[in-house]
Amino acid sequence: MSSSHTEMPAAATATLVDVTMPQMGVSVAEGTIVSWAKQIGDRVQADETICEISTDKIDTEIPAPVTGIVAEILVEVDTTVEVGVVLARIAAPGAAPTPGAASEPSGAPTPDAASTPGAAPEHGATAAPGDAPSPGAAAPAAHPPSPRGSSDYTPISGVTSENGSETHGAPARRYSPVVQRIAAEHGIDLGAVSGSGRGGRVRKQDVLAFVTAAPEPPMHIESPYRPDPVPVTGTGQLSRMRRQIGAHMKRSLETAAHCTTWIEVDMTRVQTARSRLGVTALSFVAGAVIAALREHPQLNATLEGERYTQHADINLGIAVSLGDDGLIVPVIHRAHELSVEGLAARIRDLATRARARELKPDEVRGGTFTITNPGQYGSIMATPIINQPQVAILDLEAIVKRPVVVTDADGNDSIAIRAMTILGLSWDHRALDGALSAQFLASVKRGLENA
Amino acid sequence: MATMTYLQAISSALRDELRADERVFVMGEDIGVFGGAFKVTDGFFEEFGPERVMDTPLAESAIVGTAIGAAIVGMRPVCEMQFSDFISCGFDQLVNVAAKMHYRQGLAVPITVRLPSGGGFSGGPFHSQNPEAWFMHSPGIKVVAPSTPEDAKGLLHAAIRDPNPVCFMEHKHLYRRIKGEVPDGIYETPMTARIVRPGSELVVIAYGAMVHVAVEATEDLDGASIEVLDLRSLVPLDCDAILDSVARCSKVVIVDEANATCAAGAQVAAVIAERGFEDLDGPVVRVATPDVPIPFSPPLEQAVLPSVERVREACRELLAY
Repeated sequence: MSSSHTEMPAAATATLVDVTMPQMGVSVAEGTIVSWAKQIGDRVQADETICEISTDKIDTEIPAPVTGIVAEILVEVDTTVEVGVVLARIAAPGAAPTPGAASEPSGAPTPDAASTPGAAPEHGATAAPGDAPSPGAAAPAAHPPSPRGSSDYTPISGVTSENGSETHGAPARRYSPVVQRIAAEHGIDLGAVSGSGRGGRVRKQDVLAFVTAAPEPPMHIESPYRPDPVPVTGTGQLSRMRRQIGAHMKRSLETAAHCTTWIEVDMTRVQTARSRLGVTALSFVAGAVIAALREHPQLNATLEGERYTQHADINLGIAVSLGDDGLIVPVIHRAHELSVEGLAARIRDLATRARARELKPDEVRGGTFTITNPGQYGSIMATPIINQPQVAILDLEAIVKRPVVVTDADGNDSIAIRAMTILGLSWDHRALDGALSAQFLASVKRGLENA
Repeated sequence: MATMTYLQAISSALRDELRADERVFVMGEDIGVFGGAFKVTDGFFEEFGPERVMDTPLAESAIVGTAIGAAIVGMRPVCEMQFSDFISCGFDQLVNVAAKMHYRQGLAVPITVRLPSGGGFSGGPFHSQNPEAWFMHSPGIKVVAPSTPEDAKGLLHAAIRDPNPVCFMEHKHLYRRIKGEVPDGIYETPMTARIVRPGSELVVIAYGAMVHVAVEATEDLDGASIEVLDLRSLVPLDCDAILDSVARCSKVVIVDEANATCAAGAQVAAVIAERGFEDLDGPVVRVATPDVPIPFSPPLEQAVLPSVERVREACRELLAY
């Protein structure tokens, strides 16, 4: 292979197709060659990377517009040229250039040449069989058959194709109407079909066999442009806790028939009381929930498969955030035996030990109802996921001051500033219905507003 | 079903029509007492009498002209040309009077002209021709050319019952050589092509005696799947069947026993070139008799008529293309 030449010896018979600096965006006017993936004389497939370029916006690879041999490289590495400048030329076996490769075939294509490689008629190809050479004389060396497909094509003098004839100056193949029609219908490049007819002619059965063998071409060609990856601050395997939480949550969503009901609660009295007692609002909500669960024990229950169990003890789970690591739900066993102050102390104790990773296994088991309380960041509503196999979970979000209509004992309405919150109850429609969940929420509301 | 020769099938059709329809009568040279040159009407004179089986002078123009007059007044004449070559003497009556009557006068001319045609038996230049293309070129005449006893009988029934002048090309070389099953009674064979043998790689299109040449030539041709299409009717020409075969096979050999230029096969080739172009995977190849009169010399005649070997070679060449 000659690599020092800039012009291929066979350039006269092959079509030279330009590779140009592409327009990478409306504002990009020039690009710099980063590297050449191919050198002069190298064979290149259509869409194979021929070089890499860099613009002030992106770096990208330039695909070869056609299959052929790199005939000329016109721009050296690290040279910056304007869009449209010819970077290289590929000697293609007469293939019509693909759109986008601004190139001129070396000869004006005839209608024939537009659909068939080259334009030189193959001797005998159009003669009636009676006039054609006999099979024994069909392929003498002096009667070069057509190239046997683009991958075999090489314009280098002396290199022979698989049938032993020089392809230097190989005449193009002509195709019968039916072959051209089938090829057009299936988007086949006939240069890739090997012929079994006289002198390597592609016959109908050859192209039909090719159609059967080849997958349908794609409806579109994917853009070679790939955006730079979005910067990330860290990747890695999910932690064991995250995987467990994830699996648990997915299982719950797939298991339970989730519904969420909200109720607005005036927390003004709770706020006053909690200041006095020095406890959190969550403790009051826990107390109200316990009272409501005693009133509606159907929600203090578990549902496993088709087995529904109502529990006498109220073992109240409190979701505790562990920051980035996840969350854990310690359980206040027999919570119904505790006062609000007692609940507050247990919640504080469990949360502290949860964050210190000091909980004992029993302290996270056996829950019959769960309260989650991410409201400290100001969010006002959520749709919590039930902690399986329980049948409901209560969500406490932020307590915010709002103007609300209040009615005094005499029935007079006035607007007052009240500390309001929205309690959300997600419940399992397999175990209970909306009316019961609403009654339960009303009961919690009543407990809190009369605290 | 009865097994008949091609000639017996023609006789059978004529006899059945004479028996079935009083309007039908036959006329021709030596067809009466003698029973016809080829004995197609043997026994007819005895059965149907001189008024329905008429011997005529050696005057083809008079035969055809008389038939035309009879047809116009409601008869169904069947004329026999002793040899199809002789129709040239009755040509004016056929192509100028009979063929144009409908267009000029709106009158139907339901005549059938039986034309014993073809060579292969050293009949020489006046007794061996295949003149079907003459009539194909004259609008108003139908032309049928059966290849089997079954089609010969069925097409003759169809011809006699057709309201148009019909040239019935009966190939002399098939008369006693070809035998086959023939359905009982009167039946009409449609004037459409028939696939003799289905195939997928190449189709040989022929009619009349050449159908048998085509079948024999392609019986076992290197295992290739070769279709044989028997046109049966030349006017009307079954273009749909032709184009179907071309679409399926993409390679075509057309065989004519007639002289090549402007023969029926030339018309078939034109139809394919015009309407089947995108289905072609090779040149349309024709095998026909060169443009010479049929020689009297047996070796010379065999040299010009399309032979099994010539058709086979043409198919081989085209298959390899």
